[in-house]
Amino acid sequence: MSKDAVNVFKLVKTPIYSHCFNHDNSVLAITTENNVLIFNVSQPSKPQLIATLADHDKTVTAVDISVHGRIVTCSQDRNAIVWEPLSDGSYKPTLVLLRINRAATSAKWAPNGFKFACGSSARIVAVCYYEHENDWWVSKHIKSEIKSSITSLDWHDNGVVLACGGTEGIVNVYSGFIKGLDKKEQVMNSPWGEGKYPFGLLLKQFYQGSWIHGIKFNASLEKLAFVSHDARLTIADAQNNIATVSNPSGLPLNDIVWVSDSKLVGAGFDCHPVEFSYDPNAGAVKFSKNIDKIVQSGVAKNISLDNFDNEDDDQENGQQTFGISALRKFKDMDLKGKVSVVDNELGTTHQNTITQLRVLNNSTVSSSGLDVCFFH
Amino acid sequence: MEDWRRIDIDALDPENGRLTAADLTKPILQTGEPVYSSQDVQGIMGSLRSYASSGDFTSVVKLITAQPVYFADSEQTKDMYVKQVVESLAQCRTMEISKIVSGLTDSECDVLIKFLYKGMSIPEGAKQGTILLAWLDNIIEKNGSNSIIRYLTDRKTV
Repeated sequence: MSKDAVNVFKLVKTPIYSHCFNHDNSVLAITTENNVLIFNVSQPSKPQLIATLADHDKTVTAVDISVHGRIVTCSQDRNAIVWEPLSDGSYKPTLVLLRINRAATSAKWAPNGFKFACGSSARIVAVCYYEHENDWWVSKHIKSEIKSSITSLDWHDNGVVLACGGTEGIVNVYSGFIKGLDKKEQVMNSPWGEGKYPFGLLLKQFYQGSWIHGIKFNASLEKLAFVSHDARLTIADAQNNIATVSNPSGLPLNDIVWVSDSKLVGAGFDCHPVEFSYDPNAGAVKFSKNIDKIVQSGVAKNISLDNFDNEDDDQENGQQTFGISALRKFKDMDLKGKVSVVDNELGTTHQNTITQLRVLNNSTVSSSGLDVCFFH
Repeated sequence: MEDWRRIDIDALDPENGRLTAADLTKPILQTGEPVYSSQDVQGIMGSLRSYASSGDFTSVVKLITAQPVYFADSEQTKDMYVKQVVESLAQCRTMEISKIVSGLTDSECDVLIKFLYKGMSIPEGAKQGTILLAWLDNIIEKNGSNSIIRYLTDRKTV
């Protein structure tokens, strides 16, 4: 564990596609295969399993917790489930029929917690809200201009403007205005539209060209940050001012979060988070540092199995060309019983791709990965 | 029905809205990009030839990267241009390449690498494989895998 990692939870042995904390960071939900596990992490050294949400019958792709503590999960089984916390610590599931014919890929509560949006491979964004009269979650579809799977989406803090990005390389910004639930005041003077926000209206479109992996609004700056498969981070706004920066390692980022107005953290195929700084006045973004990355010596550790052969060779860590070193390796194994072990461990806490980031407070982010560890 | 798992259900759905190649080259892709006619391209090719014959390969590369022909009146025009670019790049001496590449910006490298990959995919370029690889080698040395991933994901192709 490096000095950057504040805490590491090793919770499960399966990939974690998504994780989420509740409003006071005491409850943590993670996805593992077809289930969602709920942990009490108020004592970070001892995470306690509170509940297992096991109603999905395919891989769960996203989990999100609302301000009221309701949990929404969505899955490749094409359904979403809203889990209402009960006083005895268990959760009551309500199935939400998204009416889609492909996997659901991402889910996000609106900031007020009364509706959520769910992206899918069916080229549909489903915006779902609870209808009291029918005791039923209604799903309304946004379809216009979507030609590909939606990989990620995010609500603006006003709860109406909804951005989503897909594999066709286009970021679409829509209105997710639900009559009777949202009020016009929420989008008063918003730069993203022109006064009218009927449901499903396409407000803005940004062409990026490659898969969009992660997308986040910054409401105070009215900026939208997204990361794409060409290893770039793009920050755009309603006036079409666009700033881009590439990840120095050349690997794509999977998710991006705003830690503050001047700081963003992204993470992805690098296995460690990367920090970017943003200058709101100049509108320029640049790479600032790698988090949790230890530069390795890159020298193979040599373990001598038999001690009788102690003549140490100088060329061991040497400059040999690849073919000869391979030949030598087998000769060593055959004649001397010597095995050289290459340390395959990465110098990072995560040993595999990071799938999602969440902001805990203004100095801490949490990340979940395709491997088992989990830190913030 | 034995092989029901292999039924193409999308083909049965008139509203399947499958993503097609045309969807990915939407007009939005072309916004602000010039469309070259075959005369325009002939002009650029002429300057490439004259720079190359006078041995000024820095100008060759600058011209290639400044005016990438992403959109032309026909595919033939684009092909013709790629062949000329490959020919010009191949005339450069291996010694000079690293110096020229080190003077390029990231975005210039991104354009150049498109021509290198395209060049290697055509027979004319395959003959010049060594020198094209030398160019590629120098770009990777300078930029790491950045230029490669951008080449792979960019839909503006030469």
